[in-house]
Amino acid sequence: MKSIYIGIICIFCLFDVSAQKGKKVQFMGGARSLVSHSDISSDGDTVTAPRSTGGYALLDVGIKINPNKNTEVLGMFRINNAFGGFWGGGVTFGVRQLYVRGVARDIFRYHIGNIDYKLTPYTFFNHNQDFLTSSIGTNRIKQDVVDYETFYSNNTWRQQGASLNFALEFPKIVNEVEFNGFVTRLNPTNFNNILERLYGGGNIIVTQSKHVQLGINHVSVFDLAGTAVDSNIYNNNVSSLTYNLTFGEDDMIYGLDGESGIGSTSQALFPENDLSDYFIHARGYLNLKKLGLNIDLGYMDNGPDFRSFGAQSKRVNYNAENTFFNRYTNGQILRAISAYDLYNDPTLYNQGISVGLMDYNPAINNVMPYGIATFNRRGAYLGASYHDKKKIVEANTKVYFLNEVRGQGTEALKSFLMANVGVMVHANKLWEGKKEWNVQLGLMQQQTTRTGEFDFENVNLSSTQLNIGLEGEIVDNLFLMGNVFMLSASGNEQLPVRDNDDAIVNYQAYTVNGRELNISGGLRLDFSQDVYLALMYESNANNFVTDAAYQLDQFSIFYVMKF
Amino acid sequence: MKKILAFILIGSALVSCRKEEVGVTEGPNLTDIYGTFSVVTALAPSQPTVDFAAGETVYFTAETSKLTDWKLTITGQTSGAEKIIEGVGTTLSQSDATWDGSTTNFPMFQAEVCDVSLTFDGETDTLTTTVTVGAAKVNQGFVLADFETGYLSGWTNFIQSGGNMDFNIKTDATSPQEESYINMQGTVNWDWLIGLLDFNATAYNETTLPLSDNASNLYFNALVYGEAGLSNSLVLFRFDEDENEDGTFDGASEDQFQKEIPIDWVGWRLISIRYDELDGGGTGDGAFDPDKLNKVSVLHLANPSSGFAKSGLDYMIFTENGPLQP
Repeated sequence: MKSIYIGIICIFCLFDVSAQKGKKVQFMGGARSLVSHSDISSDGDTVTAPRSTGGYALLDVGIKINPNKNTEVLGMFRINNAFGGFWGGGVTFGVRQLYVRGVARDIFRYHIGNIDYKLTPYTFFNHNQDFLTSSIGTNRIKQDVVDYETFYSNNTWRQQGASLNFALEFPKIVNEVEFNGFVTRLNPTNFNNILERLYGGGNIIVTQSKHVQLGINHVSVFDLAGTAVDSNIYNNNVSSLTYNLTFGEDDMIYGLDGESGIGSTSQALFPENDLSDYFIHARGYLNLKKLGLNIDLGYMDNGPDFRSFGAQSKRVNYNAENTFFNRYTNGQILRAISAYDLYNDPTLYNQGISVGLMDYNPAINNVMPYGIATFNRRGAYLGASYHDKKKIVEANTKVYFLNEVRGQGTEALKSFLMANVGVMVHANKLWEGKKEWNVQLGLMQQQTTRTGEFDFENVNLSSTQLNIGLEGEIVDNLFLMGNVFMLSASGNEQLPVRDNDDAIVNYQAYTVNGRELNISGGLRLDFSQDVYLALMYESNANNFVTDAAYQLDQFSIFYVMKF
Repeated sequence: MKKILAFILIGSALVSCRKEEVGVTEGPNLTDIYGTFSVVTALAPSQPTVDFAAGETVYFTAETSKLTDWKLTITGQTSGAEKIIEGVGTTLSQSDATWDGSTTNFPMFQAEVCDVSLTFDGETDTLTTTVTVGAAKVNQGFVLADFETGYLSGWTNFIQSGGNMDFNIKTDATSPQEESYINMQGTVNWDWLIGLLDFNATAYNETTLPLSDNASNLYFNALVYGEAGLSNSLVLFRFDEDENEDGTFDGASEDQFQKEIPIDWVGWRLISIRYDELDGGGTGDGAFDPDKLNKVSVLHLANPSSGFAKSGLDYMIFTENGPLQP
């Protein structure tokens, strides 16, 4: 082990020398240390050990090499040391990312290895379906950790494969035509019953002028025939047309954008399970720059058999088990995944797209559990955003009025209402203070209803997410942070139970009446823009499970550095 | 520009006129799950009499208004044999309610009239009918012993001289297959062995039993009885291979495989063992050679300190391609 460390240090020294000669070699990465002490309590629980202390220190070191001006190679490895680990015990080494990218013949941009990729919201997109309110303050720190660990950034999915991009410019008729393509590997074959599965596609974006942009997009999940004994070739194809027509100038811009297309799934040996459907999403918008006001009005119609797993994969794997206070109560029941866990445990998240419909938590998002690409939804939405001239207040809101297209077990259709409001107040601008004081409010309300001929058809489920955050600079570089996060849900729903082919085979009568309330506060000391130390305390009360309410209290210390 | 905008608007408007899916729903109907239960079609067999020996099967039909967990019980009026078929749905049909003459709870069926009842989980209704078994199911395979014709002359045994010893063939209504079985009981407080039975190939006028050489496709099956209140019995099945085919088993140079079964149940139970999953091997070549089997022994064992032990045995049969479906 010692020789490994010495070897790594020697390599650093060698690269560092090279780096000083012309930046052909650069180091990048980050370090993070987290220590926490937690306490769980549940009425009458005398079995669960109530306290837990733990933490880790990790270092991500990336070596970026530019052998020439058009090529970049990055390898990043991670050393993670659990607290208490020493010389091997509790220490893990791993490769965090590896890629080669560059420009060939000054035209073709290529990227091979780990790629973070997305196309359009209906073809390939990493929707955030479970946190419908954004955070600042203490929750922002935890959210950043989760995003860093899961590679979620800018709605991309981390994949392993290759991508290619190039563009052609024209003097007349159209300004530019851009071509994007990618292929990634979803799973390897086992040479028996699992075929090699790939995911590929691309788009062509035609920019006619600053007023007109059209795109043709296609993605496909496909099995490679002959890579296993199994001959049940699976396919999921999605093709779409995107457009953005913009009119007006400067103070008033208006236009129409959207995406429409078709999706299909098929299995060679079970053609009776084939699905095919289309979707339409169109949005008109009006941006009044002088007033700081943007308004949009949209219509969407996502067919009940529309499947696009690159856009419908969920971030959270609700079939995973908590790694933290996994069981509690005297009966040692499994502790269900809560919002607290979603803020704290990156292992609950998927690292890639999933072929097949994933489970969801209706208390968190029942309206669009698979994001904007959720199938079997039709309706309209209205959105607006506003900021004053000094940007003291920034606010946005969006309200969706949706219905099912096809009933589940009944001809009565469910109706969905989702209203989202976000307000950010940069309070220090009120008194023109130089030290930042920000207050953020996020509120999401959902309502699902269905009224049928019989009582058992009736559905009435409502849920609320409230997220209030505070960040204020007390003295230079020392910030006071606070958050109140609340998730509540009550009512009933008939949740579909699906088989391996995602066909509904039964229903689960779901009733809920619970609330999770997380109150946290702390201090953050910024050493520089990319280095900080944060201390925080949080108290989390959860009574979603009848007779098994619990409270979690936690004190944490974060040290985060990026370089 | 206007043309493009018009094209997109008209195109979107046209395709957005989705045809209303009147009467189309996804998944099972909620009324099938949560609605009021009623019988739509009465229970009926596909034929009144069935000849299982000729390879016939019979299936049952019925329909209810609501999706339920249903249970079909077929009971022989003479034998008391029971066949249970369970399923979920609103209908019973050939795909899920077919009876091939097999048995769930022993004894086995014989030529007799059977009562058939259909019950539904959570409902009080019971539907009934009858079906007549013209001829019972015939199982394919080599029957080593069913004790219907008494002790064969080539069988041998060793019975300890303990208390309450009884290794006799019984003929009574408790027999799981036809009318006879062998009882195995006694108290032996100095040895694990209570008694053993040897089923020699010579009893069938063979030097080795007439079995396939494919050990991975050959199953040994036996019906074994467990006495209520006693769980100290062990039954050890032993398989002696005459590898050099000289007509005798030599424990010093040939394989002996075995399987020990603790009898921890009450009543008759089917034991099925694939030949290549037997334990042991002994001093031979270690290969499973069922075509060289020249003796099967059944040993009734019990801990000497555990007192009286009782078990029973019937219908030992070798089958191919799968375990016995009695």
